[in-house]
Amino acid sequence: MNHIVAVGDMKIGMNSDVLVTHALGSCLGLMVYDPVARVGGLLHAMLPLSKINPQKASENPYMFVDTGVPELFRQLYEIGGQKSRMVVKAAGCGQPLGNSEIFKIGERNYTVLKKLLWKNNLLLEAEDVGGVVSRTVYFDLSNGQVLVSSKGVKTEL
Amino acid sequence: MKTELLETIRKDVGNFPGMPGAASKLLALLNNTETPMAEIEAILRYEPGLTANVLRLVNSAYFGIPRKVGSVRQAILFMGWKRLTQMVIASCVSAVMDKPVSGYDLAPGELWRHAIAVAVASEGLAKILELKDVEEIFTAGLLHDVGKMVLGRFVEEHRIDMEVERYRDQSFEKIEKEIFGMDHAEVGAQILANWGLPEGLVLAVRYHHEPENSPKPLPMIDVVHIADLISLMIGIGVGREGLQYEVSRDVTDRLHLEAHHLERVASQTLEWVQSFTVSLQPE
Repeated sequence: MNHIVAVGDMKIGMNSDVLVTHALGSCLGLMVYDPVARVGGLLHAMLPLSKINPQKASENPYMFVDTGVPELFRQLYEIGGQKSRMVVKAAGCGQPLGNSEIFKIGERNYTVLKKLLWKNNLLLEAEDVGGVVSRTVYFDLSNGQVLVSSKGVKTEL
Repeated sequence: MKTELLETIRKDVGNFPGMPGAASKLLALLNNTETPMAEIEAILRYEPGLTANVLRLVNSAYFGIPRKVGSVRQAILFMGWKRLTQMVIASCVSAVMDKPVSGYDLAPGELWRHAIAVAVASEGLAKILELKDVEEIFTAGLLHDVGKMVLGRFVEEHRIDMEVERYRDQSFEKIEKEIFGMDHAEVGAQILANWGLPEGLVLAVRYHHEPENSPKPLPMIDVVHIADLISLMIGIGVGREGLQYEVSRDVTDRLHLEAHHLERVASQTLEWVQSFTVSLQPE
């Protein structure tokens, strides 16, 4: 069963669920999987820090990396996931050409993610981040497989 | 080869649907200094479908008008007639731009959603940066990519030529220009000129990827340039070319743009799009 995760949203699932998210530009796509419990979740976060719009963050924690990532883990623990077994993968975090510091939202998303993971003794298993491409992610919860597609080409992450 | 291609593109631009009569008549009134209330009412009286659509827009959550507006006259009182004229253009254009567009790999309706996103993000940016004289900014944002409607077919036909290695770090509109002799911004500006839209709008569409080359610098061009990039970054209307457009350093300097401006507007854009699109669905 395919479940679409919109921008600024998160979904968890199990077994035969496939989580899909489209059009990752500078947003972060985070895929977390527990291969033993066979549960996983996909977060599509738009911006790095919730302090830019606290009201928005309280309505929707998934818009921001700093509030969305902890919430994703929390929800996975509730359905049987265990931190020590979690496999974490990241996609997205792109930026336009021109190397403008202001526009490095993708890079800032990635930095905040890395800090959060480091604090929690977690490592990224795999990543497909940066550059100008737009990405679509297919996350199969029966086996944890992550496929990233851009310009019509699918590659396993 | 290129000249033939350019010829065909020009022909397609010529055959592109015209601006409906009501909208052109209203646009002609834009040079008035006073509110031509009676004239506007007279024009819209013969367009019940259009009027219903426009009132639906006016009543959308995006404008936050406290009570339901039921007539053209009331709408003018609430939002001013220039604003109302913009909504008439939006209603007319939605019929044209809601069609699927090939080449850029956008799902049906996605180009229109992108148009709305850039329109509302442009307004949001103009507000946050406290810019003056940006009355037409909503319409500029809404129309900035109309050229993709025509160029899409050619982008589809030349897909392989556009993917070659040497184009990898090239801004996408430059690749269009090199292959077709015209990019989607030029095509769009040509369509708007044919519609008889005001010069500012034509310039904003023409230079939205290269604001530094505009013969006349206008804040409206700069803001649409930034709003377009924001929309692509947050995944609204991002197609096969992804984020392959260049940020203009001149613009970020001129606007004194900072990261928090971008992020603040980005955090609101989805909600603004939502509040505006709901109103385009028939009740």
